[in-house]
Amino acid sequence: MIPLVSLVDAVLHFLDPAVLARVLFDGLAKASIYVMIAAGLTLIFGLMGVLNFAHGSLTAIGAYLGGLVMVTFAASASGNVGRIALFFVAIVVVFALLTAFGGAMEVSLIRPLYDRPPLYQILLTFGITLVLEELLRMVLLFYDIQPSTDWLEAQGTRPEIISKTHDVFGLGVEGLEVFQILLGVAITAGVWIFLTRTRYGLYIRAGSEDGEMAQALGVNVHQAFTVVFGVGVGITGVAGALLMWDSAWAASIDLGAEVLLPAFVVVIVGGLGTFRGTVVAGVLVGFVDAFTTELFTSNIVGFSALPELFIFLILVGTLVLRPQGLFGVEEVGGH
Amino acid sequence: MNHLLELDDVHTYYGESHILEGASLHVDPGETVALVGRNGVGKTTTLRTALQLTPPRSGTVTYDGEDVSGRQTHEVAQAGMGWIPEDRRMFSQLTVEENIQVAVKDAERVDTHLDRAFEAFPDLREFRNRKAGNLSGGQQQMVAIARGLVGENDLLLVDEPSEGLAPQIVEDVANALRAVATDASLLLVEQNFPLAMDLADRFYLMDHGEVVHSDTTEGVSADDEEIRRYLT
Repeated sequence: MIPLVSLVDAVLHFLDPAVLARVLFDGLAKASIYVMIAAGLTLIFGLMGVLNFAHGSLTAIGAYLGGLVMVTFAASASGNVGRIALFFVAIVVVFALLTAFGGAMEVSLIRPLYDRPPLYQILLTFGITLVLEELLRMVLLFYDIQPSTDWLEAQGTRPEIISKTHDVFGLGVEGLEVFQILLGVAITAGVWIFLTRTRYGLYIRAGSEDGEMAQALGVNVHQAFTVVFGVGVGITGVAGALLMWDSAWAASIDLGAEVLLPAFVVVIVGGLGTFRGTVVAGVLVGFVDAFTTELFTSNIVGFSALPELFIFLILVGTLVLRPQGLFGVEEVGGH
Repeated sequence: MNHLLELDDVHTYYGESHILEGASLHVDPGETVALVGRNGVGKTTTLRTALQLTPPRSGTVTYDGEDVSGRQTHEVAQAGMGWIPEDRRMFSQLTVEENIQVAVKDAERVDTHLDRAFEAFPDLREFRNRKAGNLSGGQQQMVAIARGLVGENDLLLVDEPSEGLAPQIVEDVANALRAVATDASLLLVEQNFPLAMDLADRFYLMDHGEVVHSDTTEGVSADDEEIRRYLT
């Protein structure tokens, strides 16, 4: 009875405190990543009803820009504190540049298409993706950075405290995961406060539900669209900079495609356009990913492709049982 | 005399269908003016045209002495024109308080205006943290009027405020509108003819996208031969 033995083995395996701690930290770290890569997508869709297919390549650009700052200044910022401080400089730079880029993209390219059917925006943003990817490839080849493989030099700028596994009460905790969790929580909280505690956030929530009514109350909805598109793209870039340090993702041209699918899964499972739903779905997908990774890639059962399959099973299950997503309201995002 | 709002020979289209065919009307400071007529004659479109939600293809909309035709809706709203629309258009996912906050134009004085709204509509205070989508129709209408009140508007465009409400609630809504009318001019679209005549100082009768008759409301009844022809 091999399956039964495997099952018992699996249960025993997960009762080990070291394994439990690993799954917990893996889950939280992956949840942070999933929430971050989906946050920009959900903000933009929630207010504007635009599905931004350029999301993935903007993440990749964020990863390379962040890497560029790190690699350029790494020599003058040594030690744990120096490198982490430099990383924060990098994400501020990435956020500023990509927010400006996103704002310009909205005004010049997306705005003329609001009155058209959604297919136009999908085709446009998909086209933008192709252009951005090829531009990125040209730049990388020019500077002799291999575009198709991970940018290891950027990963090498990680400080020691983040690269190693720390011993906490006899349990192994990876520094990178702790860093990802802290940054994920901080950025989620930042977006949450922006949306619920600021006047601009109020305009955005009102405008996403009924743009015409918001305008008639004096809200400049066009400007709110530009800001949200910019901030959404900026957060997407910051997520890319975070992935640049993670060897499971890393800066590469393919990062765009790697990010786009799970980001869409998280956004759809959470409910299109609800930030709360995206956070909950990100945590759900993160923990399922961590759990199935432990289950199928540890020594119990060797099936390295299964964790990814499970993520898509969540998507399929959601679409069948609750098509509007966990927190979705039917018809949110329509104009 | 300077009119607060003036529509002059306005033609408005939805796509290719011609809705307003040369409508002209005006509202003076302090007045309450009713806009009556059958369904589909262009009353709602007249309000939407004033706000530039559906801008006129020809003709002019003048507000407070300025030609606002073709301006952005939020600019017209900022200039002091408020909208209390048909079906109330609540932000259903926002709380009552947030719905009212959106309408406050002076960001420095949000709390002052909120207090003012709750003084005018004490019943709303206890629902302030409830999602607007969960309120009854009458309560939502009060929130919609409160939004018009806190916007410091000189003119409120009110569309079918009594629609779908129980008779005793209609009386509350009418009182709320009377209270609001002490601070602002009202352009009121209302199917309930006696109510419209009761609230308004003057009225315009619309048919086929045009104003066909205009008079003061004194002594007017729906039995009037001229009026009945356009209402039934």
